Amino acid sequence: MNQSAHQASDQQTVPPVSEDDSVDLRHLIEHTAHYLPAQGPITVFVHHNTLHAFEDLPFEEGVVAGGRTFGCHPFLSEDRYRKKLDNGRIRIQDLEAVLLDDLGESSEILIGGFGTRFALRLAMLQFPLHSGPVSELRWFIAQTDALRHFRQEVDPVVREQTITATRHWIMREFLNGASDNQQGHEQILNSLFDQFGKSSIEKWNDRKWEAFVLHFLWRVCSTGAQKINAPSKQPSQPLRHRDLLLRVTDMDTDLIVHDVLIRFCAAFLDQGISSWSLPQRNLGFYHAFFQVYADSRISPAIELKGLDREIQRLESSDTGPLESIAESLSLLGVTADEREAYISQSLLALRGWAGMLWQMETNAEWMPQPAPADTLIGFLAIRLILDRLVIEHVMKHSYDETGQLDSLRTAILNQTGKQKFCQTSQRAFTIFQLAQVRGWNPEDLLHLSQTQWSTLIKEIEAFSSLERRRIYHLAFERKYRNETLDAVSTHSSRLRIQQDQINTSRLTAPAYQVVCCIDDREESFRRHLEEIAPECETFGIAGFFGVAMYYRGAADAHFTPLCPVNIKPVHYVQEETLHSFEQVSRRRAETRRRIGRAIHQAHVGTRTFIGGFLTGILGSLAAFPLVARILFPRTTAQVRRIFNRIVQPPGTQLRLERIDSRPGSQEEQLGYSIEEMAVIVEGGLKAIGLSRSELFSPLVVICGHGSASLNNPHKAAYDCGACGGGRGGPNARAFAQMANDPRVRRILADRQFMIPDNSSFIGCYHNTCDDSVTWYDLDGLPSSQRKLFAKVEKQFNQARAGSAHERCRRFESAELALSVNEALRHVEGRAEDLSQTRPECGHATNALCFVGRRKWSRGLFLDRRAFLTSYDPSQDDADGSILERTLQAVIPVCAGINLEYFFSYVDSFGYGCGTKLAHNITSLLGVMDGAASDLRPGLPLQMVEIHEPVRLLFVIETTVDAMNRIIADNQSIARLVQGNWVQLAVFDVETSQIHLFHRGRFQPYLPETQEIPTVDSSIHWYRGWRDHLGFASIREHQTSP
Amino acid sequence: MNSDTVFHFSGVCVVASPALLFAILGITSLIGRPVGERIIARATQTLVLIGLFASMTILGLMLSYGIRYVPIELGNWVVIPEQHFHFHLKFIFDRLSIPFCILSFILCGTVGAFASRYLHRDPGYNRFFVCYSIFLLGMVVSSLAGTIETLFFGWELVGLSSALLVAFFHEKVNPVRNGMRIWTIYRIADAAFLLAALMLHHLTGAGDFVGLMGTGSWPDGHATITEQHALIVGILLLIAAAGKSALVPFSSWLPRAMEGPTPSSAIFYGSLSVHLGAYLLLRVSPILELSLTLRIAVILLGLISAIYGTLVARVQTDIKSALAFASLTQVGIIVVEIGCGLRYIALIHIIGHACLRTLQLLRAPTLLHDYHTLENAIGSPLSHKKSIFIRVIPEQYRNRLYRFSLERGYLDVLSDQFIVRPFISLFCWCDNMERRWNKLLTGNESKKSDPIKTRSDSMEDYL
Repeated sequence: MNQSAHQASDQQTVPPVSEDDSVDLRHLIEHTAHYLPAQGPITVFVHHNTLHAFEDLPFEEGVVAGGRTFGCHPFLSEDRYRKKLDNGRIRIQDLEAVLLDDLGESSEILIGGFGTRFALRLAMLQFPLHSGPVSELRWFIAQTDALRHFRQEVDPVVREQTITATRHWIMREFLNGASDNQQGHEQILNSLFDQFGKSSIEKWNDRKWEAFVLHFLWRVCSTGAQKINAPSKQPSQPLRHRDLLLRVTDMDTDLIVHDVLIRFCAAFLDQGISSWSLPQRNLGFYHAFFQVYADSRISPAIELKGLDREIQRLESSDTGPLESIAESLSLLGVTADEREAYISQSLLALRGWAGMLWQMETNAEWMPQPAPADTLIGFLAIRLILDRLVIEHVMKHSYDETGQLDSLRTAILNQTGKQKFCQTSQRAFTIFQLAQVRGWNPEDLLHLSQTQWSTLIKEIEAFSSLERRRIYHLAFERKYRNETLDAVSTHSSRLRIQQDQINTSRLTAPAYQVVCCIDDREESFRRHLEEIAPECETFGIAGFFGVAMYYRGAADAHFTPLCPVNIKPVHYVQEETLHSFEQVSRRRAETRRRIGRAIHQAHVGTRTFIGGFLTGILGSLAAFPLVARILFPRTTAQVRRIFNRIVQPPGTQLRLERIDSRPGSQEEQLGYSIEEMAVIVEGGLKAIGLSRSELFSPLVVICGHGSASLNNPHKAAYDCGACGGGRGGPNARAFAQMANDPRVRRILADRQFMIPDNSSFIGCYHNTCDDSVTWYDLDGLPSSQRKLFAKVEKQFNQARAGSAHERCRRFESAELALSVNEALRHVEGRAEDLSQTRPECGHATNALCFVGRRKWSRGLFLDRRAFLTSYDPSQDDADGSILERTLQAVIPVCAGINLEYFFSYVDSFGYGCGTKLAHNITSLLGVMDGAASDLRPGLPLQMVEIHEPVRLLFVIETTVDAMNRIIADNQSIARLVQGNWVQLAVFDVETSQIHLFHRGRFQPYLPETQEIPTVDSSIHWYRGWRDHLGFASIREHQTSP
Repeated sequence: MNSDTVFHFSGVCVVASPALLFAILGITSLIGRPVGERIIARATQTLVLIGLFASMTILGLMLSYGIRYVPIELGNWVVIPEQHFHFHLKFIFDRLSIPFCILSFILCGTVGAFASRYLHRDPGYNRFFVCYSIFLLGMVVSSLAGTIETLFFGWELVGLSSALLVAFFHEKVNPVRNGMRIWTIYRIADAAFLLAALMLHHLTGAGDFVGLMGTGSWPDGHATITEQHALIVGILLLIAAAGKSALVPFSSWLPRAMEGPTPSSAIFYGSLSVHLGAYLLLRVSPILELSLTLRIAVILLGLISAIYGTLVARVQTDIKSALAFASLTQVGIIVVEIGCGLRYIALIHIIGHACLRTLQLLRAPTLLHDYHTLENAIGSPLSHKKSIFIRVIPEQYRNRLYRFSLERGYLDVLSDQFIVRPFISLFCWCDNMERRWNKLLTGNESKKSDPIKTRSDSMEDYL
């Protein structure tokens, strides 16, 4: 019989919860909910800082606090950093500089007779310090030649010195011995002499001496370590019953509880995979669970026996979820001051699902089945009920039959608390390793007093593995940061000199202009275009181009938001078929609907009894698409496209102009007013510095982007971040259409903002996965521009092939020897390949964000690692008000992308969602690992594989004063900048002087070098190389070839 | 060169090509010099094509010569004269084995091509393809087996590779747990199979199917044993088939098998391995004819499994489990067909279902995209019609039925309670008795084994 049910019903031990208490509990739960992953449904993937909840702390503290909370790594492992040290991604000089900066004045402190603190720490960084459980160390000492040969890393000179000095000392003191002052040490040496044979000491060869010295050193270290009276670091005691029980019984209660919870959460949240949805879902999580399990005579697991009785008890006493939580906590013996931590850990134990429940409850009113209010509270209540049932069962059957649930933790702690964690062996081994590389003689160590030993070990332990990883990380970032700043300063001054020489020719407007998204993937596309067409000019602006809207394509079922997530659009835009095609369109829509219905029927049918039988009999036909799609993905896709074209909507246009006065989703309310369009066009063009009529070229291309790939649940994560994980094509199309509207231009002209009459705008869409470009509304292009457009189209085609070629160098499955056209075919195949887990690399390797005029970064090879935002300080006021608006969006969005990649890379299984190979789409909301697991937010391993985790470095073309002003006035920017979640430098284009934000203020940066390689074109620099590439200046050609 | 030589040569090729693949991948891994991704992919492709081509050749020759039965003898491998036992390696090509063999080659080949890209750069790439080659070998051997020992040999290879692939991500807890569970259930099926094989030997003096089913080639053979014997052997084989094909009451392993990489889930549990039980029943279908009781048992088991599968599939909320239970439904129906004696329909059903399910499982990660496309085409959110079956059930039972489906028919908890627990208790009891005896005889407390900590107690790497 269930103990807790007894207690609660018979003795009424739990008093009813007071009003205040339940308000407190609710606050507590809502507060803890902020630690849950903030990722919503996977179909709309929004990048954000994984450790958003810790953004109030400075970065270096935040990652540690976050790591503790989630049980994840704050940085890469020491081994991986050391590998970077080996292959030059970190240099010794970076370690030195970072260490000096970190230690400040304390770097010169002398540690006993062992050199300065700086030298000691540097040695600890340079040479790997192994550690492990006692048994492992014992094995290492006994079974490897750790006591016969010095470590490989030891400098031969140091090794020789140590051996010679010890040899001299031994011969001097112990052979012809006035050894009266050697009490205590005799024992060590005598046993060693016995072991090595003292009589033949004069005949010992070098190898024997080496072994002797090492044995001696190890004995000295072992005895020394025992004298230390510094307390050993004790692991913290876990709070949850589960962790304690796991320690004493090896039974993981979470496995049983989660098994039930995962199934139920998925059923509760399902958006349409199951054909039979949860009955009584509208009652909320708590009561729906009760409904399902109340009269269940068979419990979902043996350990959950009594669940039905418990539910009936709670139902008959009319206990609500909050009261139930309070009751469970008190039955489990959780005290008031443990409450917050206990609740937080209980929620975080299944954080993917808990986070999704919370997101669906608070942030997903647009989904077909959002969760009702109080879902998370219900979840916690159910979880605690299940927890205590299972804990009680395990306690009774595997630990202590007579125990009480509320005193279980104390009982276990009393039993295990006495086992002290002892670090003596680890300490001895650390000093043993350090002594070798630093050349400490055993003799010197032998004479250390107890206090000296303690000082030494404290000093070493103060620089723990975690600290070392932090320093490594800072050094790693420093290397790339300095290289970037050097490259920017060198390249920009190079360009300045060139431009001064040819000052006259540059004043004319460029042949055409291209406005792309700031996305790092467009960097290579822009660079290739500029190389092919030196007469063009490119810009970068957040890829929704200021057009925040709900959009519905001609063949779409719903409106979807196309704008950054922090903006809630009020405007609705619809794509319509052209009037003359309406008949055709309707027919095709009907055909599409019929085909769609049929496919849907077949899709569902194969999973049913009768339908499955029929499709099973005919199923052999499936062998054809199966084999074709897997063996010939690109050809199959082409064939499919031809068939699709038959039913696709014919010519379309955007319904952009509103009839009604107020925007909305009704027929009359679709679109924008002319005035609103003028504001959007003006804002967008001014932000990128196109604010004077003489700056415009005859053709301005607005290029949105997105990504299409198959078999990829994380597809939305590859789309345009500025469109909230949507595709930016319609935004570009809308912007171009607005800017072309003569009425808009008239309004702008009234505001002294002239767009020349002979300038036309044209929208297009760049698919970053297969590098295709789709053009919009070419029919409206004035005939005078046709010729220019033909040239633009040709150059775009070259540029996208070039960009594809550059991307291919990062794909191991693409030969390095591919030609440009083969590369384009390769990426086209990738996008259509069902078996491709890396359709593109996404934002992987992103590390930089440049804000300023393109003129100083043009021709600099950035290896697709930089977000490029256009901004012209010469057209801004001294306060930088245009810059402020730009940065308000750019800094949080880019930092979000960068930090999500950062954490998903640093701990792929903790913060990221692990490997894609086992992913299983659940409830149409997210992915699980395999058959049943926690929902996995974050980015998959395959997506971040080639990433380098560095915080985003902003290089902004402005003054220190203006930037300080913007930081002071903007809370969200200040938090990221001052908390060092991003790196920030400001740059003066006239002098190439850079100020770096460091320790709370801007400090001048002195370039390390003025040299960067110069090459003829991008391909000359990147070809034949798979790994990360450094910076290079690309020589400018005057006209297109 | 006469047709016999060609038959023999092609027949050996069909079996030897997967064996060679296994040898190449296995031996290189064993001596610590695993080959690279490209070589693995190319070797897989070539050898599967050779196998496929050879089996096509045999099919072509058999059709043109009008031969319906081609045995390939590879001799006795183990002979124990005192026990009258010989391990006789013999493969037969007939109307049943050729389609199944060709199906195995086509599906395995396609999935091999898929996996060679899907698993690109995965640290377990080599391991995957070693298991894959074991599986392919097992499939080919069991589909062509001419004696019950040979069939058992292939059957074991399939089981071994399946369990290893479920536990492919062996650094995580769940895959290993589930792999272990599947392995255990397979053991039960294997035990039943082994008993059946022993009985057959006992009854007919050899494991050869010819001895059992007369000389007529499939499906026209007539078994020569008595009805009672047929019933016992048949029930044992039915248990074996139920374990392998995840029929009730062994169904709970099927969704658990979705732990491995997508392609292995697709090929094994979606299509080939899950049909192996049905294939076994087809192979021994002449026995089924002998006993009406046996046929009724087969039909009932199939029907229950099909209904169970279709009910449970309806409430699954993740795509892989939904497809797994949908597969189970069809396997159940196939078993019913076999029970009814509709052998050709069952064979066609197996082939069609295997192809369809493989395609669906391989496309499982693209579900969101598909739903989106369909929604756009139809112009409204996709809705599910409640099936008639559920609509006619009174409200009060619906909740129960839902819970039954959500809990997957309680098969797990019931087997834990009524099989696993008593089993473990029994052995604990034996252990206890042994200790007591020990104490009685020696007068000392017997030493308990040292507790082994599975987790390391190093804290350094984390925080």
